[in-house]
Amino acid sequence: MSARRGNGGAGTAPDLSVRIGRVTLANPILTASGTFGYGDEYAHVVDPARLGAVITKTVTLAPRAGNPPRRIAETAGGMLNSIGLENLGLARFRSEKLQKLRALSATVIASLGGETPRELEELLAALGAERGIAGFEINFSCPNVAKGGARYWAVPRRLENTLRRLRPLTRAPLIAKLSPDVTSVADLARACEQGGADALTAVNTFVGMAVDLEAMGSRLGRATGGLSGPAIKPLALARCHETAAAVKIPVIGSGGVVSGRDALEFIAVGAAAVQVGTATFVRPRAPLEVLEEMRALLTARGVRSIAEWRGCLAGAEPAAAASHA
Amino acid sequence: MKGARATISTTAPGRAHARVATPAAQRGQAAAAHAPAPLAQGVHAAPRWRQERGTVTRHLDYGADHRWLDLEVPAPFEAPAPGQFVELLLAPPAPVLLPRPMSVAAVSARAGHLTLGFLYAAVGSGTRALAALPPGAAVDVLGPLGHGFPLARPGTPVLIAGGRGVAPLLFAAEALARAGRRCEFLFGARDRARLVGLDRAREQLTAMNGALYLATDDGSEGHAGDVVGLLDALSTRIAAPLVIHSCGPHAMLAAVARWAERKGVEAYVAMESVMACGTGVCRGCPLPRSAARRAAFREAETPSLLGNREFAMCCTEGPVFDARDLDWERVE
Repeated sequence: MSARRGNGGAGTAPDLSVRIGRVTLANPILTASGTFGYGDEYAHVVDPARLGAVITKTVTLAPRAGNPPRRIAETAGGMLNSIGLENLGLARFRSEKLQKLRALSATVIASLGGETPRELEELLAALGAERGIAGFEINFSCPNVAKGGARYWAVPRRLENTLRRLRPLTRAPLIAKLSPDVTSVADLARACEQGGADALTAVNTFVGMAVDLEAMGSRLGRATGGLSGPAIKPLALARCHETAAAVKIPVIGSGGVVSGRDALEFIAVGAAAVQVGTATFVRPRAPLEVLEEMRALLTARGVRSIAEWRGCLAGAEPAAAASHA
Repeated sequence: MKGARATISTTAPGRAHARVATPAAQRGQAAAAHAPAPLAQGVHAAPRWRQERGTVTRHLDYGADHRWLDLEVPAPFEAPAPGQFVELLLAPPAPVLLPRPMSVAAVSARAGHLTLGFLYAAVGSGTRALAALPPGAAVDVLGPLGHGFPLARPGTPVLIAGGRGVAPLLFAAEALARAGRRCEFLFGARDRARLVGLDRAREQLTAMNGALYLATDDGSEGHAGDVVGLLDALSTRIAAPLVIHSCGPHAMLAAVARWAERKGVEAYVAMESVMACGTGVCRGCPLPRSAARRAAFREAETPSLLGNREFAMCCTEGPVFDARDLDWERVE
């Protein structure tokens, strides 16, 4: 717990760099897939080059029109979404977006989605060696699609085998994004590590539901959606803690981060980096605000590097045993 | 309000028009259907919205359970055009997470800042919390967003408002008046009490030399029936070609769209949707495109912040749409 005491270094800027596979990120604040477009859409208010990385909207082989309305329902402290992986598809992503992404001088991680291992192989074969993509996050956890969503991928063996097939297709880091709606996120995490993932994202949205008693139906076009925002932070933090304890590869925490303090909580329980998502819909500059607040907090506490802070509260105490105290 | 006083009719067309459309002219107009406007004109350029800290300067009861809000926003916030909207975000601690999209009803500029006016009903937890804010309170304002009414389209502007849809259309009427153009203004509601801000509408349109026609479902004021019935009765007495700009409940907009389609009249409608970001990023506000627009859709020429073949995004392509671009059978 040395990180909490400070050590006389207060005032000097901490080293925030983080290593994910063979890539070094300038800092641990990333944008969550689906909340920052393809990287260039918020560029007039947030310089994406100042962030650790920008994770794009999930790209699939064919374009997807997405789910019918309604796609958004606000709930207490959070929001449900049922977007349904609407995206441009591989061909337009390559022809239109890649060049723009290169021009941003940002570290770009492409999010890839597939209904089968074969589809993910095709995507990675096409993009794996593209200049301007620093890494890939594989979306194994979309809650809003009928095929190839979180439920399909929540099988350790399938994750491990798929990552084994993907691993040779690129030298860039592979990050597996996991669903929280599973019996054991640790089992999935270990399977991904075995399969060759360089890092894990914990976690995607939680499957949720909201009912309109006047219209007597779901408040979304589909019955369920993915819950995000501050409402899920305690849940996500616990999954992140559990995941980080289960594997040696870096874990990227995600779920309800809106402040620098939130980011430090995730990193304290073992995350190497943190994604900011729903907060960006509220305040487009949120990723940068989180970064600057986190930097100031570390500086004030005299923490010299993010590596020093990482896992300072991970402890040996597993989450499941805490209630015995 | 200064300016020439004119007689405002509240029941029927009371003003003589220089040119009165004949049934033949109406048919000709229908035959020569207007060419489709380019998709989402004006949003191809990079986004220019920003998020700034605004301050409540005036907050009034407006009758019929509505409130009027003035927010002062510092430069360099760009002045919204009629039909555009902003996202209002309550300062923490707030009972809601997401900002609320709200149509702009007035803009005035003074050195160093803008004052934006809004008419709204406190119907949910977000707007109820907004309604409680006193002058001096902070509200973050993100905008301007979307694109507004294409007021430069040639023809006689016919503004059709339902309920609080009156506010953005009075803003549009002012912009038309500044451009030296007179409008026909139709305002409908369920009953007299729900013609929100009627006195202000009368006063403003009088000052602008615009004609105001009223309709209520129960006949308590003006034409007895819906505003589209009123439009149908008036239309042959308005100089062709008509260009409709409309704002109100979706059921009313659908009726306006169907009337305009039948008559071959241009119509632009301001749509609403649940939204999260308001900027095209979250993909949360799809509206179904019409079959014709789906068939004409060209992926490669459509920036990623706009919609796809199946769905338009209300925030970036709208909120004002050419009525023919939407599938009214599937609009909620």
